[in-house]
Amino acid sequence: MKRVLAVTAALVAALAAGGCASGEAASIVDKDDIVIAVRPDLPSVGFRKADGTFEGFDVDVARYLARKLGKHVTLMPALAADRDKVLLDGRADMVVATYTIDQDRKAKVLFAGPYHISYQDILMRPDETFKNVRDLKGRRICQVKGSNAAERVTEERKVAAQLVPFDDYAQCLEALKSRQVDAVTTNDVILAGLAMRDGSGLRLANAQFNEQRTGVGLRKGDVPGCEEVNRAIIDMYQDGTASKLLHKWFGKSGLNLGTIAVPQFEGCS
Amino acid sequence: MTMTQAPPPAPPMVAPPAPTPRRRNVPGRVRTLTGATVAALALLFTALAVGSSSARDGLQVIGRDAGPQVVATAGLYLALSDMDAQVAGALLMGNGYADRRADALARYESRRSEANQALLKAFQLSGDDPAERRTVQSVLDGLGRYERLAGQALLLDERAGHAPGPPPAEVVATYRQATDLMRMVLLPQAYNLTLENGTIVRRTYDDKALMLPLLRAAVVVAGLLALGCLLALQVFLARRFRRVFGPALLVATVTTALALLFGTNVLSQDQDALREAKKSSFDSVLTLARTRAISNSMQGDQSRYLLDKERADTYEHTFLDKSQSIFYVPAGNLETYQAKVTQGETKALGLLGPELVGPRGRDVATAFAGFQAADADLRKLALAGRVNGAVAARLTTSTQAFDAYDRAVVALAGQHEADFERAIGRGENALDNLWRLLPFAIGGIGLLVIAGVWPRLKEYR
Repeated sequence: MKRVLAVTAALVAALAAGGCASGEAASIVDKDDIVIAVRPDLPSVGFRKADGTFEGFDVDVARYLARKLGKHVTLMPALAADRDKVLLDGRADMVVATYTIDQDRKAKVLFAGPYHISYQDILMRPDETFKNVRDLKGRRICQVKGSNAAERVTEERKVAAQLVPFDDYAQCLEALKSRQVDAVTTNDVILAGLAMRDGSGLRLANAQFNEQRTGVGLRKGDVPGCEEVNRAIIDMYQDGTASKLLHKWFGKSGLNLGTIAVPQFEGCS
Repeated sequence: MTMTQAPPPAPPMVAPPAPTPRRRNVPGRVRTLTGATVAALALLFTALAVGSSSARDGLQVIGRDAGPQVVATAGLYLALSDMDAQVAGALLMGNGYADRRADALARYESRRSEANQALLKAFQLSGDDPAERRTVQSVLDGLGRYERLAGQALLLDERAGHAPGPPPAEVVATYRQATDLMRMVLLPQAYNLTLENGTIVRRTYDDKALMLPLLRAAVVVAGLLALGCLLALQVFLARRFRRVFGPALLVATVTTALALLFGTNVLSQDQDALREAKKSSFDSVLTLARTRAISNSMQGDQSRYLLDKERADTYEHTFLDKSQSIFYVPAGNLETYQAKVTQGETKALGLLGPELVGPRGRDVATAFAGFQAADADLRKLALAGRVNGAVAARLTTSTQAFDAYDRAVVALAGQHEADFERAIGRGENALDNLWRLLPFAIGGIGLLVIAGVWPRLKEYR
């Protein structure tokens, strides 16, 4: 009988080993330590402080998700243009960096979430009264290199605004204050963070014209990891953490926090 | 097993009269061999029982729990989203379409009761999963608030008695609260419930796809061992007792071989049934349920585009975004997108991408293009300032085009649902047959082994 059991056990073990070996790239579920990429350049969203540590809404979300998954986490910086790359070359296991879900990116990256729905919005001087995107007609708006937000106003929404090019958002804000442009437009959480850091009274229009689903980037094929992250996001909303974090980072920014609820997920398959 | 041909006259037995210790050894060896045979048979039937109950469990979870839960939660989403679409439609009609308004309100009521039923069912099917239960409860709470806000908006709208088109600002403001609650809080939760059931099915399937082949291998190993023991027993008896055939043991051997073949066959049939149910049916059923849910809310987005001027851009973008998640062709704005889709673009990414095969799939693609064409007309009228015409288009041509598209999706989904049911049913049938025959096989083989060995042992009494 012992021999029978031994033979069976050996066979089962051999088959199991074969089954595992033929599996695809490891899921984050199977790791103890994970690396999450966050933005280093967006105040209140993902920002690297002088001492090299990170802070912001995305950073807190990243830490919460890692804790829910039971993983030890290391954060790394990723600028907008590097977000696909760090996932594909394996430097990061997860990307939580105002990463908007779209169909082109979905060909390369698997998205869990969205964990937050943001909108394209307008940042203006205190004396302006823009209420929606149509009010930008004939006005000068800032066009930042590498971002398509300004073009979305003129092409997608077909509003005849004048585009004035600048290198980055810091220059845009200076131009806005010195009246070289009349508005800065992009993702509302980015604008809220910039306005709070600036502190000179620039405010959001709350025009909310293009919905942007901000997701968690994962390596393509990591379906179990994606499903676990989605469950963690549901927990984040059900236990009140999402509301707490949004108020902590954007409570005083003028961002509309009237409805905070679990977003409709993209689905992992 | 090559010894089966060995002739009965065993040379060492013939010459000297067998000594006493050796004679005492024979019943001992018969007992040992019989014991080993019985143990191997027990192992075989245990492996079969474990394998088949694992398959049964998989069929139960995929076919009877999560599968129906997907249908129930998708029904919940549809009912909720249609409630909001009916309210938006009624607000848009103003005092111009009394009959249609009454119809819309009646449909709102019946959707509300459907939503309540679907919620009850979803709660029932959620078992003891705490997150799922909290979600159902939260939808129930929110639905109460939604009904109050929608009721207020409808009442204000009726008092205003406005012409077809956008209602007065206070109506729009109240409706905004209602639709925000529906679209941002309630619908996402219903949608995520559907996805969660997809997760349960995938996990169960992956688990079974790994376990069933292992269990089947265990059945084969145990079965071959049992056959080996039975043959060894017969060879031993034949040599010691000079009998070529023990009919009872021979029949037991054949029965065991049959049980082994039948058992492994049933297990591999179940493996196939599960694969077919999951890969070629369930995945499509889930995808089409999600498609239908998203599509239905697009009709609401059309009405909201017409009735809320300030947010018209947001609703138009939402419409484009949803269209692209269903049927993706690259386009920077809705106009370009609709031009591409209506020109008969059939290769697309997005949810529907892999589903658009076969005649029913092609029907869906055509009907989707028709709906987009009708939507383009509606928006042209609205942009030209012909609000009345746009409202009429929303209520007639666009609704007809949408209904045709929805019917095509339902027909395609129905085909996959039938395949799913068939695959699950086939798997369950195979198991039922196995479980019906297994007790007889166990009993029969047991009796035959006793009948084959007992008389031999008696010779030593």
